[in-house]
Amino acid sequence: MNLRKYLKVYKKFLHTSLASELEYKTNILVDLITAILSLIGSIFLLSIFFQNNGYIGGWTFEQALIIQGIYTILNGITNTWFNPNLTEIVKHIREGTLDFVLIKPIDSQFFISLKKINPSGFLEIILGFFLLFFCIRINQINLNLSFLTQSLITISCSICILYSLWFFISTTTIWFVKTWNAIEVLRSFLYIGRFPLNSFSFSLRIFFSIFIPIAFITTIPSEVFLGLSQLWKILLEVIVTSVFLITSRKFWLFALKSYSSASS
Amino acid sequence: MVQNIIDVRNLSKSFDISSKEPGLKGTIKHFFRRQTKSLKVIKDISFEIKEGEIVGFLGANGAGKTTILKMLCGLIYPSEGSIVVAGYLPFRRKENFLKNITLIMGQKQQLIWDLPPIESFFLNASIYDLDKFEAKKRIKKLSEMLEIDEEVFIPVRKLSLGQRMKSELLAALIHEPNILFLDEPTLGLDINAQRNLRKFLQKYNKETNATICLTSHYMKDITSLCKRVICVHQGAISYDGKLDLLLKKLSPVKEILIVCRSEDDAIKLENFGFPVKNKIKNEITIKIENNYITSSLKTILNNFDIVDLYINEPPIDEIIGKVLNNKEYDI
Amino acid sequence: MISNLINRKIFTLLKVQYSNMLEYRVEIALWAISGIIPFFMLNIWTNNNLNESINISDVMLSRYFLCAFFVRQFSVVWVVFSFEEDSLMGKVSPYLIQPLNPFLRYFAQHLAEQITRFPFALIIAFFFFIFNTESIWIPNLGLLLLSIVSTFLSFLIQFLIQSIVACLCFWTEKASSIERLLFIPTLFLSGLLAPVVSFPAYVKSWIYLTPFPYLIDFPANLLSGNETNISGGLSMQILWIFILFPLFMKIWSEGTKKYTAMGS
Repeated sequence: MNLRKYLKVYKKFLHTSLASELEYKTNILVDLITAILSLIGSIFLLSIFFQNNGYIGGWTFEQALIIQGIYTILNGITNTWFNPNLTEIVKHIREGTLDFVLIKPIDSQFFISLKKINPSGFLEIILGFFLLFFCIRINQINLNLSFLTQSLITISCSICILYSLWFFISTTTIWFVKTWNAIEVLRSFLYIGRFPLNSFSFSLRIFFSIFIPIAFITTIPSEVFLGLSQLWKILLEVIVTSVFLITSRKFWLFALKSYSSASS
Repeated sequence: MVQNIIDVRNLSKSFDISSKEPGLKGTIKHFFRRQTKSLKVIKDISFEIKEGEIVGFLGANGAGKTTILKMLCGLIYPSEGSIVVAGYLPFRRKENFLKNITLIMGQKQQLIWDLPPIESFFLNASIYDLDKFEAKKRIKKLSEMLEIDEEVFIPVRKLSLGQRMKSELLAALIHEPNILFLDEPTLGLDINAQRNLRKFLQKYNKETNATICLTSHYMKDITSLCKRVICVHQGAISYDGKLDLLLKKLSPVKEILIVCRSEDDAIKLENFGFPVKNKIKNEITIKIENNYITSSLKTILNNFDIVDLYINEPPIDEIIGKVLNNKEYDI
Repeated sequence: MISNLINRKIFTLLKVQYSNMLEYRVEIALWAISGIIPFFMLNIWTNNNLNESINISDVMLSRYFLCAFFVRQFSVVWVVFSFEEDSLMGKVSPYLIQPLNPFLRYFAQHLAEQITRFPFALIIAFFFFIFNTESIWIPNLGLLLLSIVSTFLSFLIQFLIQSIVACLCFWTEKASSIERLLFIPTLFLSGLLAPVVSFPAYVKSWIYLTPFPYLIDFPANLLSGNETNISGGLSMQILWIFILFPLFMKIWSEGTKKYTAMGS
């Protein structure tokens, strides 16, 4: 019964935010062009790296495109869900309308992380999938059941890790109202995710595995595509994901406690 | 018997305020050793509110009205004391408690800016577990009471402030709460919109027997809606009781403007023994205590040649202003 | 006399904005950090020996990317976002009745922000040199001055482009999506991620006709001592300013005309 209510509410969220966005139609069109150009630009950059080299960090151009595809999907998800909702959270806290959310009989994390949606991110997700299918063709990957489940698990895990990171930073808004620039830092670090992690120097690789789990976000899923991944890596990814999700939830509840015992 | 729907006992609230010296040095010092001091904003207050009552909270800016209201709806955690609202502890924010209350803040809005209000109504309906049929019924009923119709199909950003407030109310009342918390609901509205809002609240209270707690800076809101007021002064309750009694207690004197036939009469009256406020030619203003009004007027009318006479009630804003600035008014 | 008046106005504006910006130093520091993408790119280039094919030594390339970082730091523009927010909050009308073009106000804001940002950029450069001691160099004074001038010209070009986009706010509510669209070619073609020298020939044939390589590649080459056509670059920068400035004035006057006609 509860699940049905949440589904129903989510349907309303979808309806209202799509309707809001459609009020600005030219905006959507421009965003769609931006998404296409952005993908072209990324492939262009990759092609510059490969124009005189066959391998980068042990990856061929065709293999590196897989990472690009996964990155594009994840970026599309970020633009569709995480980004507009973060903007909304900042607004809620700056204008004090978080109170309205908190007195509603619904989970506040659910409400604030799913209320908004930006339809122009969909195109990026679709483009990312197209690129992935293209990569499956050119890399002659066998589409069998174990590959599909593995890739599904790892990609969902990356989405969850990414969500946790974003939600974590959004939560800090409760103490520091201006977190936009922290998001920019995260964004620029995540930018790395569109290249094979092996192409960076050892120290940078360590940094990006520990502080920003890039390895878990794009590298492991793309290894699944190449048939390189071992079972323990996937298990580790699942564990890391649950740690991230639980921590972000706990952190939100903690933040709410301090919100309700401070501020006026 | 009428039940106490809100019961507050010895409630206190302290906020930790961190103080920081200016400049970079202060920031660094602040980062390592935070100096916080506890500021008690609500000091040991107790009151109860019966079902169906309309209670006005009065107080200067920063007196603690909003903090009390937020504690009552569970947004702020009390430091000490107990609050029971409709049988629940508010800060636990249990689903059934939340379905029972609503909060309306005059300066903040929850409607979706780019869409017609009707979309926000249906969104709220789904959050409060109402089916479509029920939601439609309630929207129809409330929009009749609020006297809005086609406005609900116009995007919020194109509505006037008054229309927006009505829609806010509808969105906040769609789940038919028993307890309404209103924080400055008439802020920024024009006089007609204010009057309509008050009329609606009165009607809503009569029809549903809902309990209403409101704060406002417009005295008219308080005088026309609330029989009972709670005055908050620096976090403590300075008066809790009937509004009439407060007014009587605070303004024991009425001013009477007397227009005499001639200036001589006025001079005679001036020396008659009443406390005189001022005198301009043949017009004289005197102050008489409430209890002696009739007898004094008789004396004056018998002894002087009076052309005209006005009894001035002291303006209520002035009286309330006194409450806001002073501490104790026990009755 | 008139120029004297303008100078005094700008000076006062600068002073006010600088103290305003000091309040935001944490944000500005974070923002400076978010600009370190060029260093990640450098890491890919040198770690995979990609630079051998374009005949730039490791040291010169690392200097190039450091300079690209610096040029980017001092040519970041966000007029569109400020103007959009101001127009949504209804601040434009009071600006219009003041005897000062509001864009002069934004201009002062940007300069003040750059001054605040300077120490943070220096700190980041300092760390860069700790890790890359061999790339320390002292640019010759003439080139340094020239590169400061060209960085400023690059800032001016971007400021003018964004101001033109910002003026579109008079016609559509959200001009920032157009800015995001324009940012994509700026990102990929300006030389922030890869020096323009490394671009394939089919791009190099037309790119020097666009303003993009003069935004980062040209000033960064100048500052780092890499080979570049100094007089050609500077004259192209000035040419673009001469094209953009009248365009901006035109669209500004059209926009204000429309704005006052609407009477909102």
